[in-house]
Amino acid sequence: MSLLDFTELAVKTCQKLGADESEAFIQNQQIMEVVLERAEIQNERFKTQSGVGIRVIKDKKLGFAFASKLSKESIEETCREAISLAKVSVPNPEWVSLPLKERLPRTPEGIFDPEIANISGDKMLNLVINAYDAAKGYDKRVDIDDGKFSAILNEIAVANSHGVEAQEKTTRIEGYLVCIAKEHGETSSMAYEYDVSTMLKEFSPEKIGRSAAEKALSSLHPKTVESFTGKVILDSDPISFILFYPVISSVNADNVQRGRSLWAGKIGEKVAASKLTVFDDGLMPKGVGSLNFDFEGVPRQKTPIITRGKLEGFIHNSFTANKEGRKSTGNAYRESYNVLPTVAASNFVIKAGKKRLDELIAEVDKGIIVRRFSGNVRPESGEFSGIAKQASYIENGQIKHALGETMISGNAFQALKDIIDIGCEIRPTEIRAYTPPILVDNIHIISKQ
Amino acid sequence: MKILAVEFLRESLKKRPEGYVELRYHKRQTFSVSVKDGKIDVLNSGAIEGACARVLIDGSWGFASSTVLEKEKIDKMLKDATSLAKSSKPKKKRVVKLASLKPYVDRYETPMKKDPVKADKEELVSLVIDVDNAVRDFSKTIVSDTVTFNIVNDNLAFLSSEGSEIHQRIVRCFGSVTVVAREKGNIASAYESIGEQSGLEVLEKTPLMNAGLTAAERASKLVSAKVAPAGYHQVILENRIAGLLAHEAVGHCAEADLVFGGSFLANKIGEKVASEKVTLVDDGVLPNGFGTMKYDDEGVPTQKTIIIEKGISKGFLHSRETAQHFGVSPTGNARAWTFEYDPIIRMRNTYIETGDYTLDELAEDIKEGFFLKGGLSGQADFNGEFMFGTQEAIRIRNGKFAESLRGVTISGNAFEVLKNVDAVGKDFVMRTGLCGKEQVNYVGIGGPSLRTKVLMGGAK
Repeated sequence: MSLLDFTELAVKTCQKLGADESEAFIQNQQIMEVVLERAEIQNERFKTQSGVGIRVIKDKKLGFAFASKLSKESIEETCREAISLAKVSVPNPEWVSLPLKERLPRTPEGIFDPEIANISGDKMLNLVINAYDAAKGYDKRVDIDDGKFSAILNEIAVANSHGVEAQEKTTRIEGYLVCIAKEHGETSSMAYEYDVSTMLKEFSPEKIGRSAAEKALSSLHPKTVESFTGKVILDSDPISFILFYPVISSVNADNVQRGRSLWAGKIGEKVAASKLTVFDDGLMPKGVGSLNFDFEGVPRQKTPIITRGKLEGFIHNSFTANKEGRKSTGNAYRESYNVLPTVAASNFVIKAGKKRLDELIAEVDKGIIVRRFSGNVRPESGEFSGIAKQASYIENGQIKHALGETMISGNAFQALKDIIDIGCEIRPTEIRAYTPPILVDNIHIISKQ
Repeated sequence: MKILAVEFLRESLKKRPEGYVELRYHKRQTFSVSVKDGKIDVLNSGAIEGACARVLIDGSWGFASSTVLEKEKIDKMLKDATSLAKSSKPKKKRVVKLASLKPYVDRYETPMKKDPVKADKEELVSLVIDVDNAVRDFSKTIVSDTVTFNIVNDNLAFLSSEGSEIHQRIVRCFGSVTVVAREKGNIASAYESIGEQSGLEVLEKTPLMNAGLTAAERASKLVSAKVAPAGYHQVILENRIAGLLAHEAVGHCAEADLVFGGSFLANKIGEKVASEKVTLVDDGVLPNGFGTMKYDDEGVPTQKTIIIEKGISKGFLHSRETAQHFGVSPTGNARAWTFEYDPIIRMRNTYIETGDYTLDELAEDIKEGFFLKGGLSGQADFNGEFMFGTQEAIRIRNGKFAESLRGVTISGNAFEVLKNVDAVGKDFVMRTGLCGKEQVNYVGIGGPSLRTKVLMGGAK
């Protein structure tokens, strides 16, 4: 039986058992993974995992059950469990309907690469060794601590009782390395480098190795500077967490509707510097989050979020859209088959500026650059504080020295307005945001001094 | 009860496979109730089930897992792991050797008064709804809440070619409450949790309602509060966040794989690394501990491992592999999240032992400082630099508690912060944690309130 056959069986079974509406979501993954530990290849893993999540609605009461076993018997049992849970639940007056059938757009280009789907254990190991050699070869003072590289084939199918039916395969290769540098008995802070791609030929383990090594080296022999409030360049990774995690949270329609977003009722208002344009693009070629349908089977689309500093729109799944009588933006997402769909960004893209990183640095008379952030961000209020890792002090447009024991703090919503300039080098980060480095003003830089 | 998959695993071991072989079976049944803003978001129930093989041949590991538990698939899984171990061998420099271990044949089950398998689901639903109602009624400023309660029931089997066969059933019940308050364009959120390894009696010991009201009170108090000021301050860490210090600042640096790389505890056994007020342990046998197991996922019996005793560095947390490397006995710290992962060195229940100060006594000698409450996530670095978030900072002036401010992330160097611990409270508590290190896992963290100095990442 194909995945879609199983979803249809589940929907039919639920309807027969008396559900008003039902939906089945199946995920099947094959993962080839290499783990580095204690500066060495520790293990290679080959994993296959699959499962089904079944959602049923009976008298506006919701039940959900899942199983990791795909067989006729297991699916029927899971349907019965979902129905029995719906029966003991309480009606949700806001429930309208599961998504109705719509024509799907064409599958985005470059989301499936047979070279990743069929990668051998040997080839995977060679990729990791290339990253390893690139880091070790960069400088003798560099050591690798740990890392992980994974090649993932992901197949999903979704069907519901309104005739929605969709199935697709995607691939992804990703990896991270953690490097440290040692000199004169001193150990640098841990330097982290990550990359991800849907296509094997666009994934460079060497780049990960070199970059992790370079970051570790540049954080050796740190000094502190007196606390001040001023300019900070946040590299792609820290900016995505510090600024765009609160943005994604605030444009999530579920948070907007629940009073958890400061941007509720602010569409059309200026929320950021005019240089900033942001959109969510579920159909972006080669996007890590791209697919022609979302995890409820609704067409994905490109949704403007912020245009030249003005708030344009929110992202929806079918539940939040139905509550407002509007169309879903195709942003239903599930971390895995065993949870209900939530609202999430697909590919959250920050439009590139014109300057390279070195040109941004040249602009700063006094400030710091932060390439890793170890801290906390409160998505509702935008408050953030944490350690500036792989940070350096900048004076008169030049990097002076590494910074140690330095924290940064501020408010993301204020920082959006204090954006001075946006870099041109866009990278995918771990929260599926595609972000460039950004220069921001009025950030607190804190040391014991 | 006989599990068919385990029978298959046993049979494949009988065929005398090559090298050292570990086979694990794992079924995780979960049930969760989640109520958002007065509406049931979801009743979710289900199970994941699978098996894995880890094979060591000529000092090289291979690993494969599968959710298909038919006989042929299990044989293939073992074959895949074997061939990965062999094919990766030429590319590895390190030759893995394991500390010797006597084989165990045993069974263990979480001691429970109220087995949640027999739970009345409707009763649990109404309990969660009651908490949600009380939270929303707490104050007019509260605009949104989410209340959840979860049951995770793990059935684990471990079989090895050395003759071990261990069956464990671990049951965890836990819940959480998040609250968002708004007033005049300001917004604040708060979070609290309960849970332990036990049956539903946890709900009587630590009612979810109390967690809900604590979070509601905090969010409504902080909505109009300012952010705490930045700087290097004397602080009291509340008992509920002392465990974050134990876990982030110290625990990670005692994990033998990090020690190997040169963490700040490396080569310091027998040396003074903290004030003599600090005794810190990682305990695998703590009753009701969220990270307690009788055996780890390498079949090693767990134990109470002392990391720091009265300020002196005493020991590290080991797998069989690192124990062999360091020439010590394994401590039972090799844990895997599910059958999809091979075990790595993880903490179990990490805590600072209790002292004899009351909260007022801790505050007494502070001229200007903060009482930090409510934990958020944390992280540790190799070089001893750690951070974790706090939700609330109550100002202390001349030994007295004053106004509440919004909490901030704190950081410090583990060495320095531990040496600066000059008083330890007697209000010991344990709580739950979820720690991420390549793979996540359930851990217990705990301790009493204590006094030290940290760098606070706050406002001007």
